[in-house]
Amino acid sequence: MPATITHDDIADLCTGSVFLATGGGGDPYVSQILVQEALKKYGPVELTPVSAIPDDALVVAIGEVGAPTVSLEQLPTGTECLDVIDRFEAWVGRKVTHIVSFEVGGANSVIPFITSAARKIPLIDGDGMGRALPEAQMMTFAIEGVRPGPAVAVDYSGGCVYFDTQDTLLYERQVRNIAMAMGGMVFTAEHPMTAEEARRAIVPGTISFALELGRTLNANFGNARQVEAPIRALFERSDYGILKHLYTGKIVDIQRKIMGGFDVGEAVIESVGGDRGSMHLSIKNEFLVATVDDQVVASVPDLITMVDHETSSPINSERVHYGQRVTVFGIGCPPHYRSARALQVVAPRAFGFDFDFVPIEDL
Amino acid sequence: MRIGIDVGGTHTDAVVLDGQTVVASTKVLTSANVRDGVVNALDEVLAQSGADHAAIEAVMIGTTQFTNAVIERRELAATAIVRVALPSGALIPPMIDWPEDIAAALGRHVYMIHGGRTYDGFPIAPLSCDEIDAVTSDLIAKGIRLIAVSAVFSPSDPSQELEVAARILEKMPAARLTLSHKIGRMGLLERENAALLNASLLPLADKVVASFAAALADRQISCPFYVSQNDGTLMSADFAAEFPALTFASGPTNSLRGASLLTQLNDAVVVDIGGTTSDIGVLQDGFPRQSNVAIEVGGVRTNFRMPDIQAIGLGGGSVVLDDGNTIGPTSVGYRLVKEGLVFGGSTLTATDITVASGAADIGDADALTGLDSALVETAVRNIHSIIDTGIDQMKSSRDPVPVILVGGGAVLVSRSLATASELHRPQHSGVANAIGAANAQVGRETERIVSYRRMPRDQVIGEMTAALKGELEQAGASSETIRVADIEETAISYMADDATRIRIKLVGDLSFGQRGAN
Repeated sequence: MPATITHDDIADLCTGSVFLATGGGGDPYVSQILVQEALKKYGPVELTPVSAIPDDALVVAIGEVGAPTVSLEQLPTGTECLDVIDRFEAWVGRKVTHIVSFEVGGANSVIPFITSAARKIPLIDGDGMGRALPEAQMMTFAIEGVRPGPAVAVDYSGGCVYFDTQDTLLYERQVRNIAMAMGGMVFTAEHPMTAEEARRAIVPGTISFALELGRTLNANFGNARQVEAPIRALFERSDYGILKHLYTGKIVDIQRKIMGGFDVGEAVIESVGGDRGSMHLSIKNEFLVATVDDQVVASVPDLITMVDHETSSPINSERVHYGQRVTVFGIGCPPHYRSARALQVVAPRAFGFDFDFVPIEDL
Repeated sequence: MRIGIDVGGTHTDAVVLDGQTVVASTKVLTSANVRDGVVNALDEVLAQSGADHAAIEAVMIGTTQFTNAVIERRELAATAIVRVALPSGALIPPMIDWPEDIAAALGRHVYMIHGGRTYDGFPIAPLSCDEIDAVTSDLIAKGIRLIAVSAVFSPSDPSQELEVAARILEKMPAARLTLSHKIGRMGLLERENAALLNASLLPLADKVVASFAAALADRQISCPFYVSQNDGTLMSADFAAEFPALTFASGPTNSLRGASLLTQLNDAVVVDIGGTTSDIGVLQDGFPRQSNVAIEVGGVRTNFRMPDIQAIGLGGGSVVLDDGNTIGPTSVGYRLVKEGLVFGGSTLTATDITVASGAADIGDADALTGLDSALVETAVRNIHSIIDTGIDQMKSSRDPVPVILVGGGAVLVSRSLATASELHRPQHSGVANAIGAANAQVGRETERIVSYRRMPRDQVIGEMTAALKGELEQAGASSETIRVADIEETAISYMADDATRIRIKLVGDLSFGQRGAN
């Protein structure tokens, strides 16, 4: 049954997507306002399941690229995500039949709703990550061999850049530098897909999952022990498959520095109750590796999410500070990220760690 | 000598300080017109101290009047916002997320014009004089003369806000403007909200400042007076009349500053234990640690420099249940003096536990004779453990820290705390706010997004501090006392150019010696 999303659902969807953002993805506050206003104005959005993509589809991925911090000062116009699809269609000379989100983590999980509602282009229930990750080549679209171009980037002042790049690694360099030159953030339409490519490359069901997760978190508002059972049931029923309680304790140390645009750091958590040893969390915008007494207990591409122990609100990696009481959950990644080809770009080694990925269920 | 006055919702406190020594102190009821309460408090401390009025070098006032006006939606004037950002932000107009009642109080007079700059200073769109003039004509027609102006990245480059203001004033000399770069930090929505609240308070600010001035004149006190800001520094009376919103949350700030002055500690955790809750704050280098998250004032998101305060549900009136295993957050509050066991009531409270343990002599201890000693021991441990946990969440490293206990409920802490390297219970802590207000420092801060690849760090810091130093000297600081209080650098993630947000704060001592300079 296709899910229908109204403006009342957006707050829950944002909660769920911040949980799935594993510490990255930025603050969706401004996007949340924009999307709520858009759905009030244009009406609800019906999600198209991946299984229902028609054979003659042209699916395009849309979202924001750049530094979320900048857009808290220079706000989007609100029409970039419409402009970008109009310009894409005009350039390639075809109508886009479906759009899909880059990532279900943070602001990018909700931005495509504006495009879908205003342009009446169906939005697919799925995304290119099933979580948040920092770079374009880490999207399942790229991993499954979809080319980034033709692609269009639009800035907050209506400026536009066209790409006909064939390789996603190169495209990632280009688009990030364009974003920097155009005010820090751009909206892009990219990785156009045929039906066959879309069915293979999109992580299915993640938007409706994020909504259900957000609903569950908000409905069971309380400490992490209270929400654990209901959200575990949810994850076990999904493609994520597994949720593990990794650690509950207190942040006793947080170190961070910036390297090449990444917020790189390490947080140390010590037990205040029953958990043994101490947990070290490696951060590169997102939480990437969790160890307890030097034993890896979860690592990218599996999801590591930190929540405030008392309220269960997910904590952004930029907001981690000494003294917070936190609970850390580990969650299996979608099966798309378990292939050898995927692990080349999303396993710990791709982020500079010197060990191989072991799935969370085997740890 | 200096006089510190704290105008709270219930009490007006005053102290006379000679250097760091408290010479006199008093607590009187706040009057409906505020002025009478201030005069009463003044009379009382002047009489107590026997001080010659001519020996008073400065009067410092902390007040909650502006915070309360916003919270209660009263005395807020019709105010317009002119945002300089188009085409960016078009669908996210100012006041979009304001509660309806306060938006109505200001009137939703929202204008958006072209302009603003990117994070690296590039113009988003050129300013248009025609657009500015059209807005001005409309404001004149509507009879609105209070105006907030916000431009994108104005904290890095205020030139467009200044240009817009000058153009409006040219056509409308009676306009009163609050420019967002003067009052807030990065974060456009929050900063323009702050500017709007400030502009809407300007008529009230005129009234309040004039009434303070009249109260002092009434008592032949002719020295300059200052108003305390939320970051723990002072502003001159003239400045306060322009920036009333900078007084938001100055109460908790003054309490922390007062604790610092009373103990001569610059780095410590301050626990203010009241009847229902305890407020825990952190002193860093003599000033309160500030919160990094958006803070709502009367339901409006702002990014004011507010102290980072954690309230925990433990106070003298906290109800004790469950054989001493549950303390609070339910409290009998101000009814403690009727409902507590030692006061002849029937509710077991944290205060009763403290008396039963022998750590305090309050009320009638005989009322507690039937109390099980195991229960008392459990409750005492839990009280200390709740405070320990609260302190631990606030301190910024794992080492124990000096802890300053203030407030009426400070007696609840009768044993050592694991988180505390030392415990201080200063005298006069009941008037810590007024003592904190009577500090003698002024401060200024500024913020930019920079790339150290394009401009070396030393040069960035040099330029920013030079500009701040000039402003501080103008504000009355003696130049040899001016020092950097804080440099905060935050890297901006997902940016490839090592972009960093840098915020610098300078403080300096007021130069009382130069009489007549004011």
